[in-house]
Amino acid sequence: MEEIINVSGRAVPHIYPHLEIWGAPIALYLFFGGLAAGLLFFASFFYLKGKADTMPMTVKVAPIIAPIIIILGLMLLLYDLHHILYFWQLFLHFRIESPMSWGAWTLSVIMVPAILWPLSYLDDIIEYLKENKPNCKMTGLLSWANDLIAKLPLIPWVLEIFVKNRNLVAYFTIFLSIVLGVYTGILLSAFNARPLWNTAILGPLFLTSGVSTAAALLMWMSNNPKERTLYSKIDLMLIAIELFFIIHMFMGMLSSGVAQVEAAQLLLGGPFTVVFWVFIVGLGLVLPAILEIMELRGFHIPIAIPAFLILMGGLLFRFIMVYAGQASGFGIH
Amino acid sequence: MERSKTYMNSYLAGMLIGLFMIAAYYFSGEGLGASGALKSVVVATVDVVNHDYAKEASFFAARVQNEENSPAKSWLIFEVLGVIAGAIISAAFAGRLKMEIIKGPNITNKKRLIFALIGGLLFGVGSQLGRGCTSGMVMSGMGVLSLSGFIGLMAIFGGGYVLAYFFRKLWI
Repeated sequence: MEEIINVSGRAVPHIYPHLEIWGAPIALYLFFGGLAAGLLFFASFFYLKGKADTMPMTVKVAPIIAPIIIILGLMLLLYDLHHILYFWQLFLHFRIESPMSWGAWTLSVIMVPAILWPLSYLDDIIEYLKENKPNCKMTGLLSWANDLIAKLPLIPWVLEIFVKNRNLVAYFTIFLSIVLGVYTGILLSAFNARPLWNTAILGPLFLTSGVSTAAALLMWMSNNPKERTLYSKIDLMLIAIELFFIIHMFMGMLSSGVAQVEAAQLLLGGPFTVVFWVFIVGLGLVLPAILEIMELRGFHIPIAIPAFLILMGGLLFRFIMVYAGQASGFGIH
Repeated sequence: MERSKTYMNSYLAGMLIGLFMIAAYYFSGEGLGASGALKSVVVATVDVVNHDYAKEASFFAARVQNEENSPAKSWLIFEVLGVIAGAIISAAFAGRLKMEIIKGPNITNKKRLIFALIGGLLFGVGSQLGRGCTSGMVMSGMGVLSLSGFIGLMAIFGGGYVLAYFFRKLWI
């Protein structure tokens, strides 16, 4: 009797039947990326609208968070890499068809305005903190940094050039922040073997969600009623757009091939359904939307509640998409 | 905008809770409950951290044997989430939604929170010994004429009246 040896390509740990390579660090990284993109977008946008003095939190103070969370995100990304010591190779190439390449370069380039923008406003940030948060312990640290920068040789000169060209920088940052926000979704949707991710709507959906988390954070941090109302309205609009994208994501998948229909079923009757609809759509989008509508109609709502819900919803959304996407696939039964 | 700060008539509110209880039995086959939700979260967490231990320990075992049915998928968890969401909306409508620590006039916030934590721990232990709390055992239990519900009602409120004397300094 002849023996036949079957070699199957399917015995691949962590790849088949489910991809199990991306976990919490990636979800957090995507969250931080989207949040930073949103913060920088609003800072540049409202600067160009001439609101630097009437919306100091948005334009001057909040952007200081952006470089911190981008660095945190990148550290998480490095932690997730298998060959950490080879990370620099991404920066020796640029491949126009690779979202990862776009992301690596966008993150590196956006770091320049992300760091210089708050540095150029350091005086205003210190003044703002002294005025509004007299007990803030950060003020001392920031004053020390401010004095240090003034003594360093090159940096004051760089900042001077930066401030002179701030308009140009703002346009550039708006472009980069949109690329960054879209990238956090496209990074996933470039996986053509994972049908839940492989949809073009993921880019705009992640961008909208990231910008909406940033609007929620700004709404929470601001103490100016006008600024808060503005962000309430912006957030409501973004929540509506997000719901629209989510519905269209499902419509697209349900009218596609079997693999896409099965991927959608993960969120429409499968293991991720409850978390997705109760925590993300219910508590992360609909409830804050109701509270913000009530607030705009004159009811008193502590701003922390809708802001916290939106931020948690955004974070959970990334967790679900990362995990459910890996559970989806072709021919998984 | 100043809104009415009045509370709903408590007899009407009680009737409504009764109606919700009927709805809960009709739709979910279970009564209302609060401590059960927390218990489910605890069981689910222990199960995730150490499944083998959860399968052996008698307190957790009954809920974690069937791996298809996660203890986190208990209706009580969603009921409590709904209670929180509904309470936020209803408090906002009544103009009473704000962050505050309600306490007696003569104690500090810290003391209030410490005693609230101790009280909560005792109530958590008690509810597990009695297999249910005020809502799960007393209300749902009395709703189906269970004897333990009536005894529980007397024990919880009677115990509260008796012990209140010793802790009155916290509130007056």
